[in-house]
Amino acid sequence: MIWEVFRQEAAGDYHAHCGNVHAPDREMALLFAEIQHGRRKPTNSLWVVPQDEVGEVDTDEAVFGGTTDKSYRFAQTYSVEPAAEEVEASEEEQTEAERKRGDL
Amino acid sequence: MTMDVEEVKRRAGPREFSPADDLPEEYRTAATRMLEFHANSEIMGAYLERPFIRQSPSLERKLAFSAKVQDEIGHGQLLYRAAESLGIKTREEMLSDLANGDGKFLNCFHYPMTEWEETPMIAFFVDGAAMRRQATLKQSSWEPYAHAMDKVCFEEGFHVKHGESILAELMNGSRKEQRLTQAAFEEWWPRILQFFGPTDDQSTHHDFAADVGLKTMTNDELRTAFLNSYLPKAETYGLEIPDEPRIRQNDDGTWDVVEDDLDWEEFFSIAKNEYEPGLGQINARKEAQAAVEWVREVLDDREAMAAGGHTGQAAD
Repeated sequence: MIWEVFRQEAAGDYHAHCGNVHAPDREMALLFAEIQHGRRKPTNSLWVVPQDEVGEVDTDEAVFGGTTDKSYRFAQTYSVEPAAEEVEASEEEQTEAERKRGDL
Repeated sequence: MTMDVEEVKRRAGPREFSPADDLPEEYRTAATRMLEFHANSEIMGAYLERPFIRQSPSLERKLAFSAKVQDEIGHGQLLYRAAESLGIKTREEMLSDLANGDGKFLNCFHYPMTEWEETPMIAFFVDGAAMRRQATLKQSSWEPYAHAMDKVCFEEGFHVKHGESILAELMNGSRKEQRLTQAAFEEWWPRILQFFGPTDDQSTHHDFAADVGLKTMTNDELRTAFLNSYLPKAETYGLEIPDEPRIRQNDDGTWDVVEDDLDWEEFFSIAKNEYEPGLGQINARKEAQAAVEWVREVLDDREAMAAGGHTGQAAD
């Protein structure tokens, strides 16, 4: 049985997928995950999930973000100076997301 | 073993505690109170702005308001999940309490909003104030709260800039638009000043929430940061700041608001959900919740079927 492993580097971080392990049950899956994925990189916590229990939808089935122009959803569309640093930070994150989507 | 309050205070720091920790009831209750209030406010804010999907003067504004209302409902859901993970109240209990008038939410969302010229008062000033506060909550000690704030703040920049864009358009519009916008500002300004609550010596819940790291800034600090950013904006667009309530900037950059100029009787009746116009807001949402009860029933039946192989009805 395959178990997917998600590692959290430090308390408060997100658990991010880092690989998987072969194991006959949860107890051994946790042990193997600890050995294979928790030893070299900084690790605060691991989530171990049966592979069959992971649902997936990908770009073959879905058009993430839709097919229409969604520029009205983004801060950079509105040509006013951000009122405060947190507004500016949000705009930077949105611009970065736009760049990663290939929309810039 | 359950952590004691002293240990929580000692360890308190950004994103320090997660559902994996066995936290004392005092912490979980205080965090639930904050999160439930925040979640309820997202929902009630969304209902306040929803009519403007229809009333928008252009297709662009309509799309933006539609996206924004959708975002706010989503923020409510994120926050109810973060609250639920504390084990004190379920999402259903919180939504029912909001419907029956027991759930508390932000003062500004108790007032009806009917005119287009009022929209930047919420979408720029109130959202700007909320975002100031939310940015600091990325450092909350309850990790699910901080994680919810990552997503909320990512989306919120659009809301505030869109609100500012409406304000800029109106204040560069016709004389009538400018006059109506100024009137709306004068009506909303005292409510906006009350957004951060009374001054710190009157705030009852702050000390514990700060000691355990749930929040990191005081009402006064947040109000000052807000005024320093948003007052100059109001002036830039030609809004006149009313003489009362009196506000005064100190030499160190902080602001004093003359509390006697604000209506605290109204504020505290709002806080108890006893303010008449606010009850209208609460009941309007209650009706909307009841209208889609059948959708929740269908989903619950489906969940029961997936879990136990038969529907709730079949079990009767």
